[in-house]
Formats: sequence, C-alpha cells, structure tokens
Amino acid sequence: MAYSEKVIDHAENPRNVGTLDKEDPSVGTGLVGAPACGDVMRLQIKVSDDGVIQDAKFKTFGCGSAIASSSLATEWIKGKKVEEAEAIKNVDIVNELNLPPVKIHCSVLAEDAIKSAIADYRAKQAAKKA
Amino acid sequence: MDPFAMLGAPRRFDLDLSALEKTHRELSRALHPDKFAQAGASERRAALEKAASVNEAWRVLRDPIRRAEALFQAEGLAVGETNEPKASPAFLMEVMEEREALADARAARDLAKVKALGAGVSARAKAVESRLTAGFAGGSPSRDELAALLPLLGELRFYRRFLDEVEAIEEEAEERALAGARGVSP
Repeated sequence: MAYSEKVIDHAENPRNVGTLDKEDPSVGTGLVGAPACGDVMRLQIKVSDDGVIQDAKFKTFGCGSAIASSSLATEWIKGKKVEEAEAIKNVDIVNELNLPPVKIHCSVLAEDAIKSAIADYRAKQAAKKA
Repeated sequence: MDPFAMLGAPRRFDLDLSALEKTHRELSRALHPDKFAQAGASERRAALEKAASVNEAWRVLRDPIRRAEALFQAEGLAVGETNEPKASPAFLMEVMEEREALADARAARDLAKVKALGAGVSARAKAVESRLTAGFAGGSPSRDELAALLPLLGELRFYRRFLDEVEAIEEEAEERALAGARGVSP
C-alpha cells in the first residue's frame, strides 16, 4: 500500500517518542489498543497549572499509519489547552495525513489515546483535590 | 461461505488439521479442471468456483485467528474493528510492557532475551487458544458465552503481532550472522 509523504515523514522521523513519569500528578497517560489489528499506543501529556499541555510523548507499536497518527497527535496537542486538545477529531488526522479508508482506525486510536490521557490527568487532579 | 460446512468440519476451535488438509486435497483433486475437460461451460465454471471456495475454506480453518473469526461469524456474531470490545487496561499494559522489553532486547541485540519473550507470549497465546477450544467444545455457545469469548480473539491478534515481530528480529539476526560469516560488515 502506498503511504502518503506525510505518513512516511512521521513514521520515519517520529516526533516526541518517549515517556513521561506516569506517577507525576501533572502527567496523564492514555493507553489504547486496536483488537482488530493488534496495535498498541501510549500517549502521555504533561499539563501546567493553568491547563496548558506543556509536553507530550508517545510510544506506538503498530503500522506506519498508527505511528504517524500518534506522532502528529503529540505535535498538535503541545501548547494547547486541555479542552482544545480534547476537541481534536480523528478526521482531522485523516485529512492531514491523507489516510486511506483501511487506515482510518489508526486515527481513531490516536484520538482515543488523547482522550484517555486527558481522562487520566483529570482523574489524578480530582484525586488530589479530594 | 461457512468454511466449516465447506470442508465438512465440526464447528469447533480444535480441529484435526492433518485430516482437514487431506479432505482439502481430495476435494481439490476431484474439482481439478482436468476432470471437467469434457463438461459443459457452466459445469466447468461451477467446479472452478467450488475449488476456489474449498481453497479459501482451508486457508481460513488452518489459521487460528481466521478460524476463530469464522466460528464467531458462523454463530451469528460479527467480528472486526467496530464490533469487538476494547482490550482491558490491564491487558494493554501487559502488552505494552512486553513490546517495550522486546524493543530493548532488539536494540541490545540480545537474541536469547528475544527468544525468551517470544516463548512467553507463545505460551499465553496457546492458553487463549485452549480457552477458545473449551468455549466452542459443547456445541453452540449462548449469546452471553459468545460475548465472553469475543475478547480472546483480540488477544490472539495482539499476540500474533508480537510473535511476528519476534520472527522479524530473529531473521534480522540471522542475516547479520550470515553477513558476518562472509566477512561483510553488517
């Protein structure tokens, strides 16, 4: 299958690969997987006190499109407010990377990963206040 | 197409693959175009189509993942992207940790570690297959039973992905060893 240039760029030079300390209360960790293909993706955010995503890291074991989708997702959410990051839709990723229909689930996985990281961050913040 | 019916196999997960391979061979031989050289065009076409279905049924049933998919479908349960439940966080955590350990072992060129990780995942895949065997052993499972079995299919795919990666790393190491033996720097 032919990958678009942007997918190849992100897959060969993925941005923000790595890990953040998942015990840090300002870090949210999202871990998602696609049972239909066996890909796993971890996306982490570090949020400042005023609700801005200062840093984002990811680790994806999967195809080029899954790596590109998560790489792009981390690029996009850095510097955004949590609410703005939450509004990112998988179709935005599909359009940016020109993903073919069979690879749309990779972008869904990336959107889920963002949401799951945000949910984890919020749960930690709520626990801190309690 | 129901691949089980096509090859006359019982609707179970644990199949006698050598017997099934024999059935496939016999059916393929009986449907061979040479046997239909004198037949009419429509009969020839029908034999050709049936031969293709028989081949496809064998390809499905010999592969544990495709066989499991076919079992769920034969019991009226849809499989695939939007129909299967999400993997549990604990399971995903485990897969992620194992994938990272595998990536580290690859980077360190620690082939013994790669093999050990592969053996561990292989054993877990076998355990999942045993649960599928048990689940489909007593005739048609109920809807609830089917729903409880469905996550196992996803687990098998995660394990398959892992084991494909193990295989790729082993091949990579073999190529490196061969290149080394020829005195070519890898």
